[in-house]
This record gives sequence, structure tokens and C-alpha cells, in this order.
Amino acid sequence: MQVFLQLSVLMTRACHALQDKFQIEIMKTFFKTIGNLFRKPVTIPFPAVATYKPDDYRGLIVFDESLCIWCRRCETVCPPGAIVFSQNITDGKQTYHYSPYVCIYCQECVRTCPKQGCLTQSSEPGHPATKEKDVNNVWNKLFTDSLESRVAYAAEKKKQQAAAKANPPS
Amino acid sequence: MSTQYNIPVGAQHISLLEPLHFKFTTENEKIVKTEANVGYVHRGIEQACCSKFKFRQVSFVVGRVCGLCSISHTTCYSQVAEKLVKLDIPKRAKYLRMLVIELDRIHSHLLCLSHVAENSGFEALFMQTMRYREFSMELLEAVCGNRIQYDFSIVGGVSRDLRSDVAQSIIEKFKVFRPQLDELVEIYNSNWSLSLKNKGIGVLSRENAIRLNVVGPFARASGLEVDVRNETEDVLPWKEVGFEMITDTAGDVHARNMVRLREIYVSMKIIENIINGLPEGDLLVDTKAFPEGEAVNRIEAPRGELFYYAKGNKTQVLERLKIKAPTFSNIPAMVETFTNNEYASVPAIIGSYDPCLSCTSR
Amino acid sequence: MNRIETSFENLKKDIAAFYKPEVHHFITMNGVDLGNDEIEYQWFFCNYAFPSEITMFTAKANADKQVPSIKNSIVSAWLPEAELVDLLGVDIEDTQKGFVLELDSETAPLRKK
Repeated sequence: MQVFLQLSVLMTRACHALQDKFQIEIMKTFFKTIGNLFRKPVTIPFPAVATYKPDDYRGLIVFDESLCIWCRRCETVCPPGAIVFSQNITDGKQTYHYSPYVCIYCQECVRTCPKQGCLTQSSEPGHPATKEKDVNNVWNKLFTDSLESRVAYAAEKKKQQAAAKANPPS
Repeated sequence: MSTQYNIPVGAQHISLLEPLHFKFTTENEKIVKTEANVGYVHRGIEQACCSKFKFRQVSFVVGRVCGLCSISHTTCYSQVAEKLVKLDIPKRAKYLRMLVIELDRIHSHLLCLSHVAENSGFEALFMQTMRYREFSMELLEAVCGNRIQYDFSIVGGVSRDLRSDVAQSIIEKFKVFRPQLDELVEIYNSNWSLSLKNKGIGVLSRENAIRLNVVGPFARASGLEVDVRNETEDVLPWKEVGFEMITDTAGDVHARNMVRLREIYVSMKIIENIINGLPEGDLLVDTKAFPEGEAVNRIEAPRGELFYYAKGNKTQVLERLKIKAPTFSNIPAMVETFTNNEYASVPAIIGSYDPCLSCTSR
Repeated sequence: MNRIETSFENLKKDIAAFYKPEVHHFITMNGVDLGNDEIEYQWFFCNYAFPSEITMFTAKANADKQVPSIKNSIVSAWLPEAELVDLLGVDIEDTQKGFVLELDSETAPLRKK
């Protein structure tokens, strides 16, 4: 009986001691969490305050027409197909088209371009577009039309060359 | 004779991070059998890589398989493509790839830990861990130009250089983060109410881990020493920059938390060694060869071993690309480990597995 | 990488003789469509002690033949086999369809058309 009583007192004391240790741990976390109520929030109050943006952020691609040699290498390597060149059927002049909504800002075109400075990447992020602009359908139509215009120009040039060979100018 | 109930934890659930589906058969709150279903986000990436894209563009496609381990996919694909065209990249490019892989590991482990805390009911710890994680996203934005889709490794090297002021800011932010990480380790280790949900729950023994071929921190927490960084010396020099393997023996949710926390310390040490010893050299080499033959490559993503197999046929488009994600290897073990646990512990166990379904059912 | 050629008749015997759980790690199973309805199946293993050595068992067969399953020796192989059944449209012993792709979706997307 005596042994049983002593054993039970010992076990109760051990339980209380462990509970005190656990309570200290829980109280520390509890007070830290309550203290967070009175500190400034960690989130940035965008758009009142500007967010962090590094100055070499990967932004929109900028094209300089005066340096271009029209080799179309940028169109070949672009992974999502955001650059396309269309060709005028009468004089063969090419026009550069770029879609910032398809672009993934990977810089492959900048690396491939053989002329230094023709294609560069700015640090301006892309802008959102409204639904009325219908950017995806407009770009898809422009893409197929541009490819067709190049095919049409090549066919027209071949026809003119064949005609010039058949009837040589006197 | 007690009745058995079938409870689905469906593809959309308030505690699931990823679109998994489990159907549990429970008897008196204890789980008896589990069935799993994956494949909710199958997008056909392997088929697209072998038909629509040229082999240099595939590294950008493959980086969008997963949002959390994007650098692991691009680096593994770049390495396997370099084996197909027989290209050797400069040493500076290798060191920069390792730097971004380790930064990615830090942010991914902190995300997983915060989800385990949230699923165990400790929302305040979830918020605190996410608050301490924000600096790593800003560092990744300064190094790679974007917070999530890095597009950093390309076939032949890396795309951007590390500026010296960015390197200085990395070292300074680590000085601020180290005491914060010590505080987190203290709470995850010794908080009594969290340990009721984490200790002894979801145990995987070492014999079962070997039998089921598990990978990643899931295996290392059961005592199985498997880490791709410890093994392959031919492609990236991990041992030179001070890699150490972290293991634990208990195999429960608490052991997996501790393995992930200690791996963050090792990652910070590796990054500091890389910044102090970065060799000079080029960033990119080029070749005009076409891919031919077949090659394999493995890399350690934050969740485990990632495996790529590629076959080329001397054209610009690859013939076959096979991606094996780390969660793909772990799903048979996940299904078996649920038995004999209570149904109420299921969210914490799923959080500790760290599933990434975008990689699994690409 | 060591290539070991095998065939469907010897597959279960070869893998049961080769695979020791303490020594080897099963990575995954793969299938490559070689054209003309011929498919090459591959099983990848690596060694825990010398992991840079990857061993690959290969077997070529027609797409109509049923592939034997290695679930008896390697428990966790049910998942790669379920994925190949859906993506390549082949038949593997003891494996159901519909795990990765829905039953009414386009079948066998990885086969050459």
C-alpha cells in the first residue's frame, strides 16, 4: 500500500514537471504570435508602394530596324513563335511583328541575332490587355497571313524570273 | 464485426496541395486499404517535345513541367542533350547551375515545411515559415530574372551571369536568415502540440523503403542513404563544393521535417562556397552537330531523383524523350504507408510526402 | 550504360536473377516506338554502391503481343506499367487501362501515326 502511494506521488510529480516544460515551450510560441499582432505587416502594400524589381529584369524585346539584315534567324529559334516577318508582294520589303503576349522573355532571339544591338531586352514588364483587343485570335491570324505572304512573294518572284528567261529583254 | 467505410480524398480537397485522389477504406478510424489515382494534369509534354519543338527549344518547354523544380528539369534536359551532341560545358557554367539548384532547394523545402505545419493545424507556424521564405524568391529574381520560371540552363551552358553585387546581397541575406532558421528548427523540433501530430505518424521502415525503391528526403528520413548528388561525379562537381548527406532513422513525419531543415543548412554552405570560389570562364559554348544516339541522365531535384532518357535521330527534332519524376517513384510507397494510421492524420502525412503532381503526370 | 538484350520469354527469369533489393535500385520502365508497329521496351536499374553504372534491359516486340509483367519481383513496377498501357496503347499482363488517361480520350498518343 505504501509503495503504491509513493509510486503514484512520484508519477504525478513527473507529469507536472513535464507539463511545465511543455507549457514553457507553448507559451513562448504563443507570446511570439500575439506579439505579431502589434507589429507592421510583412506584406508590401502594393500598389501604394512599388514592389522589388531588379534592374536586369527580363522584360520586353526591343527591335532596331536600321540594323536588321532580314536573315529571319530570330523567327526560327523563338520557342513559342512570338516573332514573325511578313513580306510585301510588290517590292519584297519585310516587316517585323512581335507579340508580347506569346513571348516568354527567354532572350533566345537576342543571343541568335548576328548583328549586335539589333535586338535587345529591356527591363519593362509586359502590360495586360483587355478582352476587346482579342489579342490571341488577332495574333494567330497575323501569323498565318505573314507566312502566306512570304510564300506568295516567293512564287511571284519565281514566276517573274521564269517570264524574264522565256522572253529575254532585247 | 465493425463496418468498413470508403472515404475519398478527392482531386479537390481543402488540405491537398496537388490534385491527387485517394480512396481510403477505414475501419473504426484506422485506414485499412488505399487506392490512388493520378493523371489529372496530363498535358502531353513528352509527345509535344518530340513533334513540335526543335531540340534546343525543348529546354524551355520542359522547364514548364513543374513550377517548383523548374531548374532541375531544364538542367537535366540540357545535360542529356549535351551528351547527345557530345558537348563539354565550361566550369563557370557548371558552378552557376549548382548555385541556382541549391537556391531552388531552399525555397522548395520551406514551402513543404509550411504546408506540413498548416495541415497539422499550426497555422501561425505556416505564416511564419512563409514570411521567412520570401527572401529566397527575391534572390532568385535577382539571379535569374524571374521568380518562378527561370529559363536559366540552356543547351550549351547558362543564359545569364552572376553580378558581384547580387553575390554580395546573397551572402548578406543569409546572415539575416540563419538565426531565423535556428528559431524554426527549435519550434519544429520541440513544440509539444506539433509533435502529437508528427511523431510516430506515417512511419516507413528501412526494409520497406528498400523494397519499394523510394527516393528523396522520403527515403533519407528512413535511413536509406540515397542522394544523386553523392553519386554522379561526371557531370556536376558536388563534392568539390562541400556536399554532405543528411539522414535520419525514425521514418515518420517528424524525421522528414528534420531532414529537410538540415538540408537547408547544407544548401546555404554550398552556395557560400560557390560564390567564394567561382572560376572564370565562358558561359556558353556552341556546336553545329545534330543529336544522335541515346543518353540518360539523373539529377537531384528537391523531391528526389529525376531521370531523363533521350534518343536522337540526326534531325533537329528528338525521337523520344522520357521524363521520370521523383514523385512517380514514391507513389507506390505512399499508398502502402497509409495503413494503420488514423484517418485524421492523413493531411499531415500527405504534406510530408511533398507530392508534385505536375511532374508526375506530365 | 550497360545494355542487356533479353526477350519476353526470358524476361521474368532474367530480372529475378539480376535484381537484389539491397543492391539494385529500379528506376523506371520505358517504351520507344520504332515504327512499323514495333516497340522497344526498356527497364532501367542502377546500383546503390556504384550508381553511375546504369543497366538497361531491352526487348523488342510487335505492338500486339502482351508484355510480361515484373510485378512479382518488383512491387513498385505497377505504376510505370499502367502509364505505358495508356500512352502507348499496348497490353501488359495484369494491368488495367484508364489510370493516366481517361477512357474516352484520344488513345495511344505516343505511337507514330
